[in-house]
Amino acid sequence: MFRSCIVNNALDGNRARQAVRLVIQDRPRGYMGVLSHFQRLVRLEVARRAARIESATALTPRTREQIQSDLSRQYGPGLDFAFLENPALIGGARIQVGGDVYDGSVQGRLAALEESF
Amino acid sequence: MQEIEAQISGLKTSVTRQNVGTVREIGDGVARIEGLSDAMLNEMLDFGNGVVGLALNLEETEVGAIILGEYTGVKQGQEVRTTGKLLQVPVGMALLGRVVNALGQPVDGKGPINTTSFYPVEKIAPGIIKRQPVSQPVQTGIMAVDAMIPIGRGQRELIIGDRSTGKTTIGIDTIISQARLNRAAEQAKDSSYRPLYCIYVAVGQKQSNVARVMAVLEEAGAMPYTIIVDASASDSATNQYLAPFAGCAMGEWFMDNKMDALIIYDDLSKHAVAYRQVSLVLKRPSGREAYPGDVFYLHSRLLERSARVSEKYGGGSLTGLPIIETQAGDVSAYIPTNVISITDGQIYLETDLFYQGVRPAISVGLSVSRVGSAAQIKAMKQVAGRVKLELAQFRELAAFAQFGSDLDAKTQGQLERGKRIVEVFKQPQYNPAPVEVQAAALWTVQNGMMDDVAVDKIKDFQGKLTEYLTSRKSALMDKIRREKALSDGLIAELKAAVGEFKQTYK
Repeated sequence: MFRSCIVNNALDGNRARQAVRLVIQDRPRGYMGVLSHFQRLVRLEVARRAARIESATALTPRTREQIQSDLSRQYGPGLDFAFLENPALIGGARIQVGGDVYDGSVQGRLAALEESF
Repeated sequence: MQEIEAQISGLKTSVTRQNVGTVREIGDGVARIEGLSDAMLNEMLDFGNGVVGLALNLEETEVGAIILGEYTGVKQGQEVRTTGKLLQVPVGMALLGRVVNALGQPVDGKGPINTTSFYPVEKIAPGIIKRQPVSQPVQTGIMAVDAMIPIGRGQRELIIGDRSTGKTTIGIDTIISQARLNRAAEQAKDSSYRPLYCIYVAVGQKQSNVARVMAVLEEAGAMPYTIIVDASASDSATNQYLAPFAGCAMGEWFMDNKMDALIIYDDLSKHAVAYRQVSLVLKRPSGREAYPGDVFYLHSRLLERSARVSEKYGGGSLTGLPIIETQAGDVSAYIPTNVISITDGQIYLETDLFYQGVRPAISVGLSVSRVGSAAQIKAMKQVAGRVKLELAQFRELAAFAQFGSDLDAKTQGQLERGKRIVEVFKQPQYNPAPVEVQAAALWTVQNGMMDDVAVDKIKDFQGKLTEYLTSRKSALMDKIRREKALSDGLIAELKAAVGEFKQTYK
């Protein structure tokens, strides 16, 4: 069911909605369990394609575009970008795409230094 | 200051990719983590704040990991990172004399361990090309073992028996014997002797038992040649599961560095129970007696790492003495049969013998050493060759003789000899005997020179004979130890010495 919702290595939202509608209509045996597992898989897939870019100060539109194109080149199209401001980073940026983290923030480097001691 | 500067300069400033996940569920020392798409099997995971985990289950959407050490600080939703490293423990000579936990961290309060070498906990056992046959003896100092169930360097010999039948004692006696031999060779500057270092792995034992073992080893002066790996009953199941592998890695270092080591796993029954707990919490399918399907592989891959490598690879060895506790003498239970089939023989200890006063309570009929006889020295072979057969015959006759009192002289002779052999093999704990003393005692009983000593006086006779031989005839004992065989000349000398002693013995 989940695999049939994947198109070009990305989740197709319309197909997912349609699949859920069909299951609720037909109500096969154990459909609640099927739906909750499906929801989990969708949640994980959405998280896998989510790109969260945190920076200490707001990024210029040009920098944002640059980051978006670089990440799309590396991870393929269809990423869900979210740009956030986080003063706790002190300086630099932290980019998370699914389970991959690129931490170039001052906070991250201080934490690494602390661990090395 | 310089150290701090070096640490700061060594810090990477470039941005590198890290793989992270989040804890979905945590309990019983096992975490289920979402994400971590790059995690490898058996990879160390960083939970932050110095908490480390080990990835054991790689599933479609999550990773099942065991947490090493304290896990109560780990929370749901916490970030976890991969490290790209396999679990490893410190190894080397610096560990000798120390008590460490399953991760190789000292727990004896004697400060940090100064070593730069680390070995992975899981390692593939040496292949057939790297190995050579077992041919050098491990002198356990226990007469019954050295004479009838000899152990060679690189062998795996199982010690099996019910609770409190003296299983651990056999291991401890062996360690003490090695320490005495190592020290004697050091003092005599004998470069031809290969010292045997010992590792005692306590799995699921009571802390008081481990403390007792440590005290005994310290008192006997054996600690400088021994490493204790402690994963006691109060440790987490994950640490109990890892401890034998950590101890084995420490032993492998000696083997790889042209040295000999001996490892005692006390005991693998509790190890299997700890692994069962970890597997069940990881939701792995359970099989017989609720053990996971790979419990055989768990022990086989551990024990296969005991080996004697060929001269081309240094000629080192790792001897394994796993211990298994049976329930009411049932050797056909799941874990005992598994380990019996993996090892190169077993020393079977019987409760009945133990309470009859036959200590060590070794059952001669059920104990066997499949490769050790090649490693026995010639002197022992000469005197011990017929002992096992004679003892077996004695047990059969003794059972038969209970029904009638009229026995012919030959049968009575066999019975009397048997009784004396049983007495000679009795030995107090923590008192291993040197091989030349063993050979002399066995020669004496085999050649009928104890036949005129009353059975209840045999131990007294043997003790005084040993004292006489080691103090008054030390030259003869030295010769037996050096030549490792009883030549005609030595036999004549021994006969004269025993005859001389008998004249003075009352």
